[in-house]
Amino acid sequence: MELELTTKRFEDVDYFTDRSLPDEPHSYFEFLRAQGPLTRLPLRGVVAVTGYNEGNAIFRNEERFSSYNAAYGPNPLPFTPEGEDITDQIESHRDGNMIFRMISTFDPPNHTRLRMLLRGLFSPKRLVENEKFMRRLADGLIDEFIANGTVEIVSQFALPFATLVIADLLGVPEEDHKLFRRIFSASGMRTGSLDGVPKQEDNPMPKIEGHFIGYIEDRRSNPRNDVLTDLANTRYPDGSLPPVKDVAALSAFLFAAGQEATVRVAAAMFHILAEDQALQARLREERSLIPNFAEETLRLESAVKSGFRLAKVRATIGDVEIEAGTPLMMCIAAMNRDPAKFEDPNAFKLDRKNARDHVAFGRGIHSCIGAPLARIELKVTVERMFDRIADIRIDDAKHGPVGNRTYRYAPSYIVRGLTELHLAFTPAS
Amino acid sequence: MKITYIESDGTPHTVDATIGWSIMENAVKNGVPGILAECGGSATCGTCRIYVEADWQGKMSPPHPDETTLLEYVEEERPDARLSCQVSMTESLNGLVVRMPERQYS
Repeated sequence: MELELTTKRFEDVDYFTDRSLPDEPHSYFEFLRAQGPLTRLPLRGVVAVTGYNEGNAIFRNEERFSSYNAAYGPNPLPFTPEGEDITDQIESHRDGNMIFRMISTFDPPNHTRLRMLLRGLFSPKRLVENEKFMRRLADGLIDEFIANGTVEIVSQFALPFATLVIADLLGVPEEDHKLFRRIFSASGMRTGSLDGVPKQEDNPMPKIEGHFIGYIEDRRSNPRNDVLTDLANTRYPDGSLPPVKDVAALSAFLFAAGQEATVRVAAAMFHILAEDQALQARLREERSLIPNFAEETLRLESAVKSGFRLAKVRATIGDVEIEAGTPLMMCIAAMNRDPAKFEDPNAFKLDRKNARDHVAFGRGIHSCIGAPLARIELKVTVERMFDRIADIRIDDAKHGPVGNRTYRYAPSYIVRGLTELHLAFTPAS
Repeated sequence: MKITYIESDGTPHTVDATIGWSIMENAVKNGVPGILAECGGSATCGTCRIYVEADWQGKMSPPHPDETTLLEYVEEERPDARLSCQVSMTESLNGLVVRMPERQYS
């Protein structure tokens, strides 16, 4: 009876506005999966993809599936799709909203050119340098709260950590780090808000762009031996120098991309560790298991639970016909729990062999270029917290006692993650 | 125009290759297992590694320093390793045979 009621409710639910789903989205995704690896939602003309193989095939097929709506979701397109192929319509409707001008929304060949600019930033050499900074940064942040015995890990650690790691990666001088830290606050993380497309004036990105326009202009006229100078002088594959504005927009985008998802995964890791003391003890003993712990967290908690694609041409996948202009919701959280790919998919298994086959970073040309960086961030975060803190527990005073906890998740149809996670701990002696 | 990808257990996969696509793209777009290409072709993840015999290596453009550094970073020890995303399919590679590692990450 209860199951019938739930199913009935899910049939009518609007995933994009319903406020009860973010706290527990997986039952809804399983309801969708029961209808097939692809299924048409009753509202908004969206086709939801929950199958691992089907989703991968779409991610890998940028010729047919545009990323135009990657961050825009199911909101009405600024044009009415016409004809067999809407590529030209897509490309002539990118001005205006910033949400159609981010690299994550571009299609080839513009995407290819722009992504080439980023390559130098994510080189192994930069990652090694960045990791040293991460350790220093983690310690500095832990110093700020270690005497308290409690911490709200999202705002006091994960968010400033993710923000300043990107600042360092891009070469922002350390004297400006405080400024960058202030621009971002936990309440400002609003990707995929259930209240519709966030207003442009609430977007911190233009502020970041402004700073980078200053940096890039300065380094182009006064080159130094630093990362910003390298960034300022990076050229397109054809040898041309990109406009300052484009480099600044790309830099600002990296803050957006490198931040919210990383913050949510870090919180998910501490949530799991604090609720499962035996797991925490084992990881403390066997530090070499931390990377797979992070992978399994990425798989099970998928901080980006959904992303979007737009069919450029007609396609048939399985028995679902898709017309040009159809938005596809790529349910990454559901793909990562597809029983055809992952055995006992809803269980957290530290030793899961294929944990890293998850698609939490996407697949194909838009897969997260910062994935290697994120993996190091997650590892350093857990390692430094283990080194400095003897035991990590849930703060009962904030979340309630064992068996009766209250957790709140981001009110978003894209992001999955705790809004706050209060921990209690004893400093390591 | 053909490429054959051989899994570590010896299973071959021959695909009709598209000139201009990378060796990685020709694999993933034809559903060849064993090439993950997590970063989508940016030479930043090291999960599209292939092993290429010297004769074929000679017909490929030599690796960019970024590629060599990345192979070292992911602790790939074999000298015949390449990142398949950094090698474009050309006429002279028709009939190319490459081998794939047992796992693309440790």
